[in-house]
Amino acid sequence: MAANPDAVHNSIKPGRWVRSTCKMCLHSCTNLIHVTDDGVINKVEGDPTNPSNRGKLCPKGNSAIMRHYDPNRFTQPLKRTNPEKGPNIDPMWVPISWDEALTLVADKLKDCLQTDPRRIIPSLEDFQKMNIWVWPLAFGNFNFFQSGGTMCGGAYHPINGYVHSAFAAANDAKYCNFWLNDGTGDGFSSHLHAAAQSSWVADARVNRGMRCVTVEPRFSISAAKSEEWVPIRPATDRQFALSMCHVMVKEGWCDYKSLRKDTNAPYLVGDDGYFVRNAEGKIYVWDSADNRARLWDDPAIGEFALEGAYTVEGKPCKPAFQRFRDILANCSPEAMEKITTVPPATVRRLAKEMYDAAGIATDAKIEIDGRVMPLRPAAYNYYRGAQGHKLGFQTNHAFKMVNFLLGCIDAPGGHIGVTLDDQWVDHSHIEPGENGMIKPNPHQLGPVPPFAYPPQTFHLMDYFPVGVHPPHLNLEVFLNPEKYGLEFRPDTMIVCHSNPIWAMQGPREKWFEFMKSMKFIAVSDIIPTETTQWADVILPSNDVFESWNMTMIEPPHTEGMCMRQPAVEPLYDTKSEEEIFTELAERIGVLDSYNEVLNYALGFVQKPELKLEPGIKYTDKEIARRKGLLWNGKDLDWYVEHGHAVTERRLDKWYRPWEGMRLHFYIEDMVSVRDDLMRKMEAAQVPFRHEWAWEDYQPLPTARLDPVHGEPPEYDLYGMFFKDIQINFGESLSNPWIQDIVYRDPVHIALMLNPKTAEKQGLKALDIVRVESPYGMIFGRIGISEGWHPDTLGVSNALSRAKTQSKGIKHAGGHFNDLLPYDLKNTDGVTGQPETVCKVKITKLQDWPAHLKNGGSVYDLVDEIAKPGKGRKH
Amino acid sequence: MARYGMVFDLKRCIGCNACVIGCKQENSLPDGVFFTRTLSEEYGVYPAVNRVYIPTLCNHCEDAPCEKVCPSGATYTRPDGIVMVDPQKCIGCGSCAVACPYDQRSEMKAEAFKDGLFGTGELTDFEKQGYPRYTPGMVTKCDFCSGRVDAGLDPACVVTCPTDARIFGDLDDPNSKPSKLIRERGGKSPLPEKNTRPKVYYID
Repeated sequence: MAANPDAVHNSIKPGRWVRSTCKMCLHSCTNLIHVTDDGVINKVEGDPTNPSNRGKLCPKGNSAIMRHYDPNRFTQPLKRTNPEKGPNIDPMWVPISWDEALTLVADKLKDCLQTDPRRIIPSLEDFQKMNIWVWPLAFGNFNFFQSGGTMCGGAYHPINGYVHSAFAAANDAKYCNFWLNDGTGDGFSSHLHAAAQSSWVADARVNRGMRCVTVEPRFSISAAKSEEWVPIRPATDRQFALSMCHVMVKEGWCDYKSLRKDTNAPYLVGDDGYFVRNAEGKIYVWDSADNRARLWDDPAIGEFALEGAYTVEGKPCKPAFQRFRDILANCSPEAMEKITTVPPATVRRLAKEMYDAAGIATDAKIEIDGRVMPLRPAAYNYYRGAQGHKLGFQTNHAFKMVNFLLGCIDAPGGHIGVTLDDQWVDHSHIEPGENGMIKPNPHQLGPVPPFAYPPQTFHLMDYFPVGVHPPHLNLEVFLNPEKYGLEFRPDTMIVCHSNPIWAMQGPREKWFEFMKSMKFIAVSDIIPTETTQWADVILPSNDVFESWNMTMIEPPHTEGMCMRQPAVEPLYDTKSEEEIFTELAERIGVLDSYNEVLNYALGFVQKPELKLEPGIKYTDKEIARRKGLLWNGKDLDWYVEHGHAVTERRLDKWYRPWEGMRLHFYIEDMVSVRDDLMRKMEAAQVPFRHEWAWEDYQPLPTARLDPVHGEPPEYDLYGMFFKDIQINFGESLSNPWIQDIVYRDPVHIALMLNPKTAEKQGLKALDIVRVESPYGMIFGRIGISEGWHPDTLGVSNALSRAKTQSKGIKHAGGHFNDLLPYDLKNTDGVTGQPETVCKVKITKLQDWPAHLKNGGSVYDLVDEIAKPGKGRKH
Repeated sequence: MARYGMVFDLKRCIGCNACVIGCKQENSLPDGVFFTRTLSEEYGVYPAVNRVYIPTLCNHCEDAPCEKVCPSGATYTRPDGIVMVDPQKCIGCGSCAVACPYDQRSEMKAEAFKDGLFGTGELTDFEKQGYPRYTPGMVTKCDFCSGRVDAGLDPACVVTCPTDARIFGDLDDPNSKPSKLIRERGGKSPLPEKNTRPKVYYID
């Protein structure tokens, strides 16, 4: 059939543009959706009125249409008829009515509530709808089985809560001139608002000549766009940061003025780790002007001592800065090089370059909107790869220490706290704490359960008072329930937009046993996943083009609510998540308490007229309307017209919002929280208290090695995994357009080795191999690139999917997560952060194992693409 | 009359391929067809390794070899310099694909229009509304989103590029963004030895 001569490009067809918000990752870039006069969505573009993404979208945002029209979408509620459950086993769905589906699920949940509510294990991951995330709190359930806990930034979020009283942090692209990226794609390929941040950073790089340095075991996009790549052995980033600190402190390349005025670095710390206080609890400092101790707020203080050893109130003590200096004595670049492999000359040069770029020597200032502030345009940025280690809290703290020494915390050009969702425009995320310091706020995701023994949560959240939920410990406890004194067993799972059986670390086979132990699983999702095939009932939800929402998710540089509105009527017999979960809440008798939970979680208590009333089932539209009203007092019609309320971040919130208070250079909570937990565990005679990782609680970071380095020597390489902008955050590998670009990119289609390493191992490109860690194994095909640290085997997340009933998904040879530990030994005792690097050994195979020979894998697709006329590689 | 061209800023391009998918969206391209690509080339030896991301599309050559060899007159150049392919006239002979030194021609295989993007043999509504622009079997390429340009808009790949690595405009206007960049940062056109006079330039 010949072309229609009148046919035109999609975006100029007769139709309308609908303002909305992207959901291809968890962040909130706003977009414009083009709907033709025939009701077909045929183009999605970024919204140029949004100062965050400025009309841009990342590749994922560009591929949303393929999710909407995915023929694999669930079109109606489904019930399993095959009693046999397992990976790649057909559930043999039959359609059922919504009433039957909701009744079925509600009856199972009700049975749990009547016997033991702890039997329910939720996995509710929709990060743009915290109202669903908090649903289990309506019946006091703190179980947790989603990856948005420690699989994300387990230690990252608590430390940001301590240092910035914020959820995340980013370098300030507006003024930064020296941007060091460690184990992150921020500004180039991933993490916070990837399209927006890469846009801002590209302007800084090209228009202002911002210098970029990337520290990472792989030659990432960030490295490729940086002036310098510093390859580093995996899981040694903390030791690198400490070697930078060593040089800066030794050479005096520090912002002493900021340390004295803006931080608790001068506060005196006793040998017990606590600040030295007087009888009223006020903390002492040492006044080096007249050589005596004074209280921290004594107006007579001449000069805050940062160094030295003193005795105050009969206690030997030192300023916190001196305590850090003592730790750094053993962190010379030469000593750390043995761990990191980074040459000492590189460390010294980078430390000097950052010090010079930060403008400390001249105490550079900037006036913005009439406010004069220190200008510190050099900062250390990091995220998932660098921070995801057993000693996660110390690791995060070490990175922050470089920024503390540079005086760039929350300074223009520096490293700045990014809030998750301010809820309303006048809300300040900073609160005053004790003794002139800001109030620490490690729990950015809402309340956590109190201490209890026997444990009241299956993942032991009872013992991580400043942590993030560690979902991987569900497996540790499942395999050893007696050891942990569990009085209950979860057997009823409720899932929403979560794919835990894909996302959790630890071997799949063991997780399968965990899933098999569930008597009932209900899943709300839009497309089939590794997890949906375990479900007994599917509750299909509307997609992003069919529903309402209002959200603000950790935008760097900007703030304000982003509205989602339906562009079209639902294609199928689906419901909003709000309708599904309020229906369930009503049927199990917790609707009133759910509404009350939402009043707190969504902040409606701040404006009582917005509070949800008992007995009413609120729709997605009404929840969105109230969130918009809470933000700026504007009703939904205003948002429908404008799409969003995003503005550049108000400067008093963005820069030094704590002005006049002091930041936690020294985190005393590590001592007090540890002692409190120790006392409680002792009093309750918790049987595993002696193996709890008490030494992880450190008020200052140390150079102690993560246990991954002590695995048996036969595991001779470090396995690490990575994502890029095409697969940033949640699922996108079932999307044919994402497949089009990812599986044509050489770094995403093979297990990557440095050529010298490959030679040493007797391997060459395309060799089929088995990769084993002490915890599990995967299979794959070798790729060679000079862009890898020689100690490293790199595995893209594009090789993570499993063979399932989901036709669109290309499986690989097992998930990198199979290689990772799930035990306490590799879990940060402070935050619950698990180790995300492993030691591996590689064995060459003659052929694929039988289970990977039947076609449909990533490797089969890659071979197909490589054939002539098949669209070729990129 | 304008003379449209594009500049690729290699300093800005992060190889994210948002442009590639933005193009697939705008043009409802069937499986395996690309009007634009982002190539990546790694060079150097560890640790002094480097990688460059190179966006490519039809260069809309002033002396377009594809136009010269087209036997049916399907390939033609608009007065504003955009090289077009008329789906009514294209006979799918592929001469243009052979002649193009930049490998920018794609055959739109008939089976791709039947298999669909999900390979199910059924087309989504998105495909159904978009595929009538093409004659199955035709050999085609990027047209700088000519319809958008006529409506005063930039091409789809340009508006979505997160890092503004694609800059579109009138090369005859010395004050246009691409003209200034070519002048100030020394724009180079691809394969100058082919004497095709491309209207696409690279700066780094």
